Amino acid sequence: MTGRDEREIIAVSLKVALWGVAWSLPLAVATALALARGRFFGKTLFDAAVHLPLVLPPVVVGFALLALFGRRGPIGSLLEPLGIVFAFRWTGAALAAAIMGFPLMVRAIRLAIDAVDRRLEVAARTLGAGRARVFFTVTLPLAWPGVVTGALLAFARALGEFGATITFVSNIPGETQTLPLAIYTFTQTPGQDGEAVHLSILSVLLSLGALALSEWLVRRRLPRPAHA
Amino acid sequence: MRRILALFACVAAATLARADTITVFAAASLGEALEAVVKPFEAATGHRVVVSYAGSNALARQIEAGAPATLFISADVDWADHVEQRGLAVPGTRRDLLGNDLVLVAPAASNASVRIAPGFDLAHALGDGRLALANPDAVPAGKYAKAALVSLGAWAGVEKRIAPAENVRAALALVSRGEAPLGIVYRTDAMADKGVRVVGLFPEASHPAIVYPMVELRGATPATHALAAHLGSPAARATWQRFGFRVIE
Repeated sequence: MTGRDEREIIAVSLKVALWGVAWSLPLAVATALALARGRFFGKTLFDAAVHLPLVLPPVVVGFALLALFGRRGPIGSLLEPLGIVFAFRWTGAALAAAIMGFPLMVRAIRLAIDAVDRRLEVAARTLGAGRARVFFTVTLPLAWPGVVTGALLAFARALGEFGATITFVSNIPGETQTLPLAIYTFTQTPGQDGEAVHLSILSVLLSLGALALSEWLVRRRLPRPAHA
Repeated sequence: MRRILALFACVAAATLARADTITVFAAASLGEALEAVVKPFEAATGHRVVVSYAGSNALARQIEAGAPATLFISADVDWADHVEQRGLAVPGTRRDLLGNDLVLVAPAASNASVRIAPGFDLAHALGDGRLALANPDAVPAGKYAKAALVSLGAWAGVEKRIAPAENVRAALALVSRGEAPLGIVYRTDAMADKGVRVVGLFPEASHPAIVYPMVELRGATPATHALAAHLGSPAARATWQRFGFRVIE
């Protein structure tokens, strides 16, 4: 394995994880808000559906994605003429990563929204702020640590995603081969332990870096209140 | 006469009493054929044969790590050599069991037509799809496929367009499911899957001869030995051939 290959593997991993998180974050905030504050028919079922990827074997999620979003799948074949292709593409890996990380993101954000003092929101409303303004200026800033934690959990999950990814988009170097897939490939071939160990260490460093970054983000945005 | 009968009974009893479980590591492409060959052996001896199928590289790797298999059937010479060189095989038990061919396949519903010849334009035939094959760096079917494409001058055109799979059956599934428009697998794989259609046969001279060496591994029992003998016996030959394998004498 050359240095170029290694950089490529890390670039694919980061691209997949970052896009997976970026696309699903707004949706996760909306879902968390609906679950924390909403009262609607079928909420329990909706809650269960959101959590499904957390409890299902990842290979089942991958197989479902393949059946739905594959070239011949009912959704995949509709999207293909529009130029949106997931099969064998890094976008498919990002989709798998996003779905696997989604429940983690929603859980963290929902807990944070639950913990926001509703009296503050009511006070903002009495001062004339609309619902959207209350959400963006009161609820979201107060729930910020939960949003960051959720995004980080999802990012870490995306970096580690294996089963759904390999089932859905295969293991193509430079396109869908993320760190875990590359490590797996090396462990399957005698005499390539060195590369597997090397990539494993890189993966530990990457995860530690993500943790440190999220810690920094939470602290920066939220000076500790005096009474806490 | 009575003495001979008694001896025979003793031997039969001893054989019956020792119903072993034999763990076999076999190349993924052997799938259904090996099951069919093993069935009469199990019925006749009472032994239970458990087969683990994977790419030969992954199996060699697991044998190296101490997997409890006692018989290894690799899809190429290299991985059998690898296991032997590390002293994991029983010396003198290796024999070349089967031969196979390499084919280009397309989904059954596709009307792709490709003529395999030196300098043929495989990239064009792929359109914007990918060529499914087993990992060309490690898995035998992928190594043969790469060798064939290299010798026909078609590798450079598709090198960036492949979808490498864990083993040849995974590559077959990609084509069968229609995710990949073309793939390279063994002729026997194409015969085993109604979802694919053979588009062309790679000339034998374009790749190293496809040979399945079989070797007994450390920990082999008399039951392992009996199974190995059965797999190479004239009785098994017809079954191997029914699944499209060439039997090596």
